[in-house]
Amino acid sequence: MKQHEQVLFKNRSPGETAFLETYRKSGGYQGLEKALTKMSPEQVREEVKKSGLRGRGGAGFATGMKWSFFPADKPGEKYLVCNGDEMEPGTYKDREILMADPHQLVEGMIISAYALQIPVGVIFIRYAYEQCSRNLERAIAEAMEAGLLGKNILKSDFSFELHLHRSAGRYICGEETALLNSLEGVRANPRSKPPFPAQKGIFGKPTNVNNVETFANVQHIIAHGSAWFKNLAFTESGSGTKLYCLSGHLERPECFELPIGISLGAVIEEYGGGVWRGRRFKAALPGGASTPYLTAEHLGVGLDFDPIEKAGSRLGTGAVTVFDETTCMVAATLNLNRFFARESCGWCTPCRDGLPFINWLLEKIENGQGEMGDIDMLREQIRNINGRTFCALAMGAMGPMQSLVDLFEEEIIDHIKKRCCPLKT
Amino acid sequence: MPILTIDNQQIEVLKGTNVLEAAKGLGIVIPHFCYHEALGAVGACRLCAMNFVEGPVKGIQMACMIEAKDEMVITTTDQASQEMRARVIEWLMMYHPHDCPVCDEGGECQLQDMTIAGGHDIRRYGGKKRTYSNQDLGPFICHEMNRCIQCYRCVRTYQDYCGGTDFGVLGTNQRVYFGRFRDGRLESPFSGNIVDACPTGVFTDRTFRYRTRYWDIEEAPSVCPHCSLGCAVIPGGRFRELQRVRGGVNKQTNGFFICDRARFGGGYGNHPERPRVPRVDGAQTTWPEALRALRKRITDLVARHGPGAVAFLGSPRASLEANYLLDSWAASLGSRRIAFDSHWQHDRSARVAAGKLGPRAASLEDIRCSDFILMIGVDPLNEAPMLALAVRQAVRRGVRLAVIDPRPVTLPCAAAHLPLAPEALPDVLEALAGGDIRRLGRREAVLLEGILEQLRAAERPVLIGGPDLLGAAGIERLLDTARLLASEHRPCKVMTVLAGPNSFGCGVLARQGPDFEAILNGMLAGEIKALVCLESDPMTGSSDPARTGMALGKLELLAALDYLPTAAAHHAHLFLPTTAVPESAGVYVNNEGRMLLFSSAMDPGTPISVSGGGDHPPRTFLPATPGSEPRPAWATLGHLQGRRLSLRDIRQAIEMEHPNFAGLSSLTTGGEGKRIADISPPPETAPEIPFPHSEGEGTLRLYAMEDFAGSGELAGYASALAPLRPTPFVMLGALDAKQRSLSDGQQVRLRSELGGVGVALRVVPDLPAGIALVPRLRGTALESYVPGRGHYDCQILSEDEEKT
Ligand SMILES: Cc1cc2nc3c(=O)[nH]c(=O)nc-3n(C[C@H](O)[C@H](O)[C@H](O)COP(=O)(O)O)c2cc1C
Ligand code: SF4
Ligand code: SF4
Ligand code: SF4
Ligand code: FES
Repeated sequence: MKQHEQVLFKNRSPGETAFLETYRKSGGYQGLEKALTKMSPEQVREEVKKSGLRGRGGAGFATGMKWSFFPADKPGEKYLVCNGDEMEPGTYKDREILMADPHQLVEGMIISAYALQIPVGVIFIRYAYEQCSRNLERAIAEAMEAGLLGKNILKSDFSFELHLHRSAGRYICGEETALLNSLEGVRANPRSKPPFPAQKGIFGKPTNVNNVETFANVQHIIAHGSAWFKNLAFTESGSGTKLYCLSGHLERPECFELPIGISLGAVIEEYGGGVWRGRRFKAALPGGASTPYLTAEHLGVGLDFDPIEKAGSRLGTGAVTVFDETTCMVAATLNLNRFFARESCGWCTPCRDGLPFINWLLEKIENGQGEMGDIDMLREQIRNINGRTFCALAMGAMGPMQSLVDLFEEEIIDHIKKRCCPLKT
Repeated sequence: MPILTIDNQQIEVLKGTNVLEAAKGLGIVIPHFCYHEALGAVGACRLCAMNFVEGPVKGIQMACMIEAKDEMVITTTDQASQEMRARVIEWLMMYHPHDCPVCDEGGECQLQDMTIAGGHDIRRYGGKKRTYSNQDLGPFICHEMNRCIQCYRCVRTYQDYCGGTDFGVLGTNQRVYFGRFRDGRLESPFSGNIVDACPTGVFTDRTFRYRTRYWDIEEAPSVCPHCSLGCAVIPGGRFRELQRVRGGVNKQTNGFFICDRARFGGGYGNHPERPRVPRVDGAQTTWPEALRALRKRITDLVARHGPGAVAFLGSPRASLEANYLLDSWAASLGSRRIAFDSHWQHDRSARVAAGKLGPRAASLEDIRCSDFILMIGVDPLNEAPMLALAVRQAVRRGVRLAVIDPRPVTLPCAAAHLPLAPEALPDVLEALAGGDIRRLGRREAVLLEGILEQLRAAERPVLIGGPDLLGAAGIERLLDTARLLASEHRPCKVMTVLAGPNSFGCGVLARQGPDFEAILNGMLAGEIKALVCLESDPMTGSSDPARTGMALGKLELLAALDYLPTAAAHHAHLFLPTTAVPESAGVYVNNEGRMLLFSSAMDPGTPISVSGGGDHPPRTFLPATPGSEPRPAWATLGHLQGRRLSLRDIRQAIEMEHPNFAGLSSLTTGGEGKRIADISPPPETAPEIPFPHSEGEGTLRLYAMEDFAGSGELAGYASALAPLRPTPFVMLGALDAKQRSLSDGQQVRLRSELGGVGVALRVVPDLPAGIALVPRLRGTALESYVPGRGHYDCQILSEDEEKT
């Protein structure tokens, strides 16, 4: 197992959480000091833009670009929101950061708030992450105590207050506009865009939303420079490291910090310890439950945004879920779809009722009652759900679904012809 | 204005129009559920899919969510968008119980229509259906959740538009539920709107349940007679019975919605005691006999005592045509003794509004679009409910609302409330009009300064007042204030809430004529021997029922034309039945001065009771429909003058005589109506009539106020509204209650010049000191407390004190 430079996991050690003292020893809050004393907000934004940092929350939107849409220079009520909902199956990287080194998020948010000239921030965190919440509460208190957070940070004239909000616990709360509604205390239904949160966010005020891992990268970029950050990646187009959280049929399903662009095969073999029980690799979700499957032919693909897209999937959150040769892909996809159907917020028809329709179709096929016409019906359902819903949740559900019919049509036909699941023993 | 192409046809639309509306403009109606003109586009149902071929957005898009732009080329007939719409319908129908045969919505169900239009026919989903349990939502609305298609229109209506808080969405995914936290009557006074808003049979009118299929009901566009706002309603009748009322559309008045008083208060015409046959001296008779008798008696009286011996009373709930004919009858006899409202203050206020409102009159739409609202002496929810909703729409946009009123004016929106005693309101008006603000208390002066500042800063401010507390003099001052606050570039509009649906029209007809007080004095003095009441009941309508009763007792002839079993109708020597509003056509002039046409939805007749108790088929066959004697008041009044007039003739005559009503005869039903021309000179305000009272130890000033369902004359005869009527109560400020050692909820004794009555006490924290309030509740001991009459001296005692 080759060691790569650890940035976010620098202070990670099993069973322990690094707090202020450890964090400072490892260079913590130097980025903040540099930003506040040596850089203008605009310079901070520029540096982040040059770093090529892309959002780690799933959509991979360039952070510098997102920030450039934010009315940083307009005074008034503005909010910075950290999306720590992390409820997608297979994704647990944010938890690893918050369990290992929570100050990274706090510092990243303070610098981002400075860059965007935002006085108030909120960390929206998954309800099940109680220990992470406590770690954050302690980190926030320590930072306040040390004058790193609150009024006149480091004696500058920049002030920033940071709140923690425990989510009610629905996957849809991670969708950024539903998150804003949820913070306002109304139903977590997504809002239509435009207006984007940068224009109208919480209580109608400009709001910038980023993921935990995205924020955590910011102070490293500021402390060490954008060039250093870009160089961390394997690929020319990529930059930085990524937390790949492995799950599924692997010998070592753990979370690793690796350079962006490392190949899928390398991650599985070198870090995940290979497919478990000596079995063969069948497929993987490269970036979480809402990304299309990749198969053995894609093992050489670099885990970076653009290359994966070329291979027909998405980097998403960097959660790699591996399926071995004994997996029934119909059953696996049905399992995923049940999650999405359950987590649908119920606002729009194709998602609320279309996903259960697909559940019924897949159950039928899996139970050996499928008919050949069902495959067409499945394609037709996907066609009319994909891109037709109010938010991206159902589109996410259609990721694996589309690749099921594209890559594993033979397996579906096999189910129908044999009138049972061929992989069930 | 963007020009776009839809299905090869070009259309130019207003900027901001969405593509779904643009297509509608071309006659292309694409199935849709969640979009509703009043509720806006939310993109939830995903049914309105169209294919965008050229322009800024491409591909299959939801037309309701896309603003029409130049160069857009759109098709609705391509395979992809048709497939999408068919799939959406299929998804919506996955769990539907297919219970159309027993569903009250059947026949007027948008789900039925859209299913056909959407192209989904044969069920493919074979899984389990989701089933919900339903809730008991009270006496007005049935709940059948399995028919729901999750368009969210009900919550958007109930919560967003109407401000209700006890009903909403629960749950997520395919189990979202539209209901209350637990069973119980829907609390909003606008709850019935979810029946109209729901495109399926989830919410149906319980009072209408299992009675009629849509294609069997007779409907016509009409105007609500329950207050002065003139909301558009659509009454529906069958089996000679008014079976339901639903909301009509008038964008200048109600918009799309109506209040529950209108929706569930239509039963006054079905009242079992409604007098349906002409009567002379207590005996039923035929029309010719009754008409002959009335003409003869009046001619005799005029011959014996001169024309002044006959007086007439018109009515704010009678049509303009009938009121006009009453006026012309009086004139033809030579009598100038005609009033149009027996309530002095209401009469005078209507005349002030009719004479002075002019172009400053605010419509409900003006209020929805305003940017600052000051309400003074007006309690919308009880006096003119839809006004409360209009105000709410402005407040939803962030508009500030200030309320100056002693009553605990409850509203479905946030407001800054300054509770001042009624006696202080003239000073407030004075101060607003530029007078000395220091006459008020310090705190009040500061608050008023703030209000004035906002008033001056606003671009479209509206002042709203009502006659009950302001009186005619106050209304006049309110209009002066608006005039002073307005400039050439900045109008300051006013809405005056009046007493009845045609108060304004009556105000125009009344001009400088006498008021009922003068007629009352004439009757008491014995100069007036006869009174003809057109759809009005001075016994309960006037400000002083006791004195009125005495005066009526002296008459030689009391004649009444009505469709209600009123006290006057009961005591009349001569009674002529008239048709109720849904059975007649005519014009009302609402409080803004807007002429609104209503047409007849049904013929009068005694409702058929389907008892099955052996009376079917009928044993005796009558030549005419039972109970069909009532005739339109205007027809009867024409007849009495020996004139055969059509409504058209009458309207033309009105236009000739009163140029204000120009355009009356070209009005069409279902439109927005037309504001009258403002020409008549303002009437002189008569002096306030002093009411004798003595202030003793522990005396409170008691004011009567309107109640949503308990005060209105028509509402009083609508039995369905009974659940909405409160049990009698009196309101007292916290301090006054404490001084008397009385507590909230306690049973107390209310003693005034009208006698003593036991009521429940409601303690209202910020009610001004020295004031008590009672709702006027018809059919209870509080019936004789008349709002707008000034105050009564009263004492409030605990029951024990009363005994000692
Ligand atoms: C259904 C759904 C769930 C999501 N859940 C999360 C989440 O848990 N955490 C997260 O950071 N982003 C989540 N997102 C993405 C956010 O909407 C948003 O793009 C992200 O927070 C932006 O941060 P980034 O630019 O730093 O990636 C979700 C999106 C969807 C559609
Ligand atoms: S796709 Fe529609 S139903 Fe699904 S979560 Fe998004 S808004 Fe809600
Ligand atoms: S109850 Fe009616 S209005 Fe409400 S969501 Fe269901 S179908 Fe729509
Ligand atoms: S607000 Fe008045 S006019 Fe309008 S529906 Fe209600 S009672 Fe009728
Ligand atoms: S009407 Fe357009 S999405 Fe519902």
